[in-house]
Amino acid sequence: MRKLSFVALAAAAAITLAGCAGGGTKTPAADDGPADIRVWLVGTDTPQDARDYLKTTFEKENPGSTLTIEEQSWTGLVDKLTTSLSGSDSPDVVEVGNTQAAAFTSSGAFLDLTDQYKALGGDDLLPGFVEAGSYDGKFYAAPLYSGSRLVFYKKDALAASGLTVPTTLAQYISNAEKLAADNPGKSGLWWPGQDWYNALPFIWENGGEIATFKDGTWASQFSSAGSIKGLEQVQELMTKASTAPKDGNETNPQVGFCEGTTLQLSAPSWVKWSILAAADAETPGCPDQESNLGVYALPGADGGAGQVFAGGSNIAVSAKSAHPGLAVKALKIILSDGFQTIYGKNGLVPAKVSLASTLGTDEVAKAISSAAGNARLTPASPKWADVEASGALTDFFVQIAQGGDIPSLAKALDAKIDGILNG
Amino acid sequence: MSTLVNRRARFTPYMLLIPATAVLLVVIGWPLIQLFIISFQEFGRAQVFGAPAPFIGFENYTKVLGDPAFWNVMVRSILFCLVNVVVTMVGGTLIALLMTKVNRFFRLLLSVGLLLAWAMPALTATIVWGWMFDTSYGVVNYALTNFFGLDFHAHSWLINPLSFFFVATVIVVWGAIPFVAFTVYAGLTQIPDEVMEAAQLDGARSTQRFRLIVFPYLKSIFLVVTILQVIWDLRVFTQIYALQGIGGIREQTSTLGVYIYQVALGSGEYGIGGAIAVITVFFMMAISLYYVRQSLKEEQL
Amino acid sequence: MTTATVRARIPHRKRSVRRRVSSIVLSVIAVIVFVCAAFPVYWMLQTSFQPNNEIIGSQVNFWPKTFTFRNYETVLFATDRAQFLPALGNSVIVTVLTVVIALIFAFLASLAVTRFRFRSRKSFILTILIVQMIPGEAMIVSTYRVLDDWALLNTIAGLTLVYVATVLPFTIWTLRGFVNGVPVDLEEAGMIDGLSRTGAFWKITFPLLAPGLVATGVFGFIQAWNEFLLALVVMSRPEMMTLPVWLRTFQVAHGTTNWAAIMAGSTLMSIPVIIFFLVIQGRMTQGLVSGAVKG
Repeated sequence: MRKLSFVALAAAAAITLAGCAGGGTKTPAADDGPADIRVWLVGTDTPQDARDYLKTTFEKENPGSTLTIEEQSWTGLVDKLTTSLSGSDSPDVVEVGNTQAAAFTSSGAFLDLTDQYKALGGDDLLPGFVEAGSYDGKFYAAPLYSGSRLVFYKKDALAASGLTVPTTLAQYISNAEKLAADNPGKSGLWWPGQDWYNALPFIWENGGEIATFKDGTWASQFSSAGSIKGLEQVQELMTKASTAPKDGNETNPQVGFCEGTTLQLSAPSWVKWSILAAADAETPGCPDQESNLGVYALPGADGGAGQVFAGGSNIAVSAKSAHPGLAVKALKIILSDGFQTIYGKNGLVPAKVSLASTLGTDEVAKAISSAAGNARLTPASPKWADVEASGALTDFFVQIAQGGDIPSLAKALDAKIDGILNG
Repeated sequence: MSTLVNRRARFTPYMLLIPATAVLLVVIGWPLIQLFIISFQEFGRAQVFGAPAPFIGFENYTKVLGDPAFWNVMVRSILFCLVNVVVTMVGGTLIALLMTKVNRFFRLLLSVGLLLAWAMPALTATIVWGWMFDTSYGVVNYALTNFFGLDFHAHSWLINPLSFFFVATVIVVWGAIPFVAFTVYAGLTQIPDEVMEAAQLDGARSTQRFRLIVFPYLKSIFLVVTILQVIWDLRVFTQIYALQGIGGIREQTSTLGVYIYQVALGSGEYGIGGAIAVITVFFMMAISLYYVRQSLKEEQL
Repeated sequence: MTTATVRARIPHRKRSVRRRVSSIVLSVIAVIVFVCAAFPVYWMLQTSFQPNNEIIGSQVNFWPKTFTFRNYETVLFATDRAQFLPALGNSVIVTVLTVVIALIFAFLASLAVTRFRFRSRKSFILTILIVQMIPGEAMIVSTYRVLDDWALLNTIAGLTLVYVATVLPFTIWTLRGFVNGVPVDLEEAGMIDGLSRTGAFWKITFPLLAPGLVATGVFGFIQAWNEFLLALVVMSRPEMMTLPVWLRTFQVAHGTTNWAAIMAGSTLMSIPVIIFFLVIQGRMTQGLVSGAVKG
């Protein structure tokens, strides 16, 4: 039996050794010396040109240091950031959705950048995003880019029904319903049930709010009179004008458009490139539809641009970054005009107001800038990210899409959101 | 024998247990203690990043136990588990019996089919089934509409909770039946031929034969397999989590594992998540008490 | 021929006809079961060989209209996202290590609880059972911190350690049954024949245990190969990704879902498991039964 006990000890020792071997590679924190900076970008919104620009510029400016971009996915991002930013192997620079930023700025996950505010762009930075990245009077996360939602439509279908580009929200709704009625089995407005971002303008335009903050407590406002009115319009569109899956999400919007079953859809501006992707691309689009593809900004209730949701990202330095000096340098490159211009050229709103002109002057650019002018954000609560992550909003709108009873659903949603925001 | 040997023998079992115990203590024991402590604290995302965590007594527990959503999840998980265990056990046993009745070729065919289903990782299985049940491009809707003349065009299988759990059951049972079928079949082959033949001569009907002769032989197999199925099906995570990513309403379809994940990691309420986990463990211990007692009795022999 | 024998033969013939009919019916059922079991695998394969634009459309193809390897090229060689081969390497190493280490540790532990009577033996067994009931999803953050304290984040050793701990309770629990099934007398008989205790173990006990080890190892294998939640947070660097995490990057990569590529990725992830199962299948079922019956 002695041999066996020895095996046991040896095995235990092996595990310990393996542990030590794994941990031995770590270098002590040294801010000045050359190091490898890890940058987390989320999704594929940031174009390859911009990535190359960041890497080469950084490595040229900081000889000996390297910069690695690690692509993350939006799904489960908050979970992964929570663990990774709290650990010792933290990435240095991270992108985070603007509605998620507060969860981290409020918990001490990000490095305080208040004294860098001027150097990063100062008051030229997109104000709504600066607000999203600030907490308690301190500046933690800079704007990265903003994307606005536009309405894409088939010019021939609109013309065939004798319609014109809508100038008011009411006309937008009646247009979509007319298109659906004239083309049975097709979507006058493609709207899968999980896509709640598109529902927010209807609430805002009818005088509703998502949530209000008063005397230290949040009050969710989905069951207020204005919100209910907006939600009724949403339900009308989802049930009467859309043939999209009632519990579907907003992926692959180009498929229906290219097949001809989607006549209009409201989506982030980059969807244009999905629609126009080459026919033999990995996820093919229909470039032959280019001349038939029209685009406009969602109209407001009283005309003009509607108040749409400003999606986008913030970017911050991890509080646990081993090389904060280098990380801030990388951040400065990201907010430089050279880097941000690439966003503009690719149809994303740059982080600086002064660079809006880089969007160009075509139809899409015009629609983007009019949409961006009236864009709004979700409630500035550190717990708002938890509301999104809980799935309460997608559940709610899936039920709306199924024709559920709005007042009672809205009341239940309010209770749930209140619980999370004030919990 | 000398006392030296005796002493060594006395320490040997402990030596043998060292590696397993060490790993369990470090990776499960320590986090478990932390989880238990956290369940009595106000522990959110800020605490993950180092903010002090105040003790709040049983507040997390009262919150969880007073939340109808938790009870819904609990009942849903138990029902889902029961249905899946029963369907898996019955289906697996029937297929095992089928394997004893058909000839070599068909037995091989069955084995290959079962093996393919068994080898498929849960994540890929859920993705593939989700794709087959896809609202717009799924083969199930296509076949029902075009071959059976039913109107399943653009039918969403996941939006209705019952229908969601039907799909989930199909995925879980499909993946679990092979294990049951192979095990029961292997058990069946060990029943001596004379026993079965004697029963046939006596004119016992097949259901009777199964109940009176086959079942007692396989009792221990059934017990072990059922216990495993119960533990696995109550803790089901991957299939539900991945399926929720495809469609359905989370609030109406979450089972225990997914619910804990949503509360703890999704909403950053680690304290409450810890409380749910502790309650779950006590609950599972309660329902498996009988089995635990049985096993401990056997240990005394 | 007497009337008595005729009378005796008629029911006999009837019975054989009935038997033939029932055997045809059973064979048909067997084919149906086979189709149900194998169809998803077939569907995954055939989808993975179709161009993406042909699988998302109003027409559903039961056989690829255009046969293409493009999805596999995308999955294997596309440079703009996580690479398959490193992920495969990580998964294989972690899985093999997990299975081997868990089996060794579990075997030692099951020797202790079956071959010896000692204090706290019962509580050890009880603990092993209870540990299996803990919902692991709740412990992710704590587990993450333990690994961080030991500087094991983004290491093969770290993930292996966690997986070993996850599968150990079940492995010990099952292996116990197998070790119990090998009579001590056999070992002792070997020792009388002049073998040492270890010699007796290797020559007599181990061969009898082999099927049991295979059967138990399979569960560790499945667990380590499929787990993705811990792998997602522990292996946060792209080069340390395991296969399930890699597959997930495809599911949500763009605003557009490339179903054909996902199916190709799923196929690649499933193939090693199918091969493994084919190789060990015989031993495994043999092991399952001996463990269950004797345990």
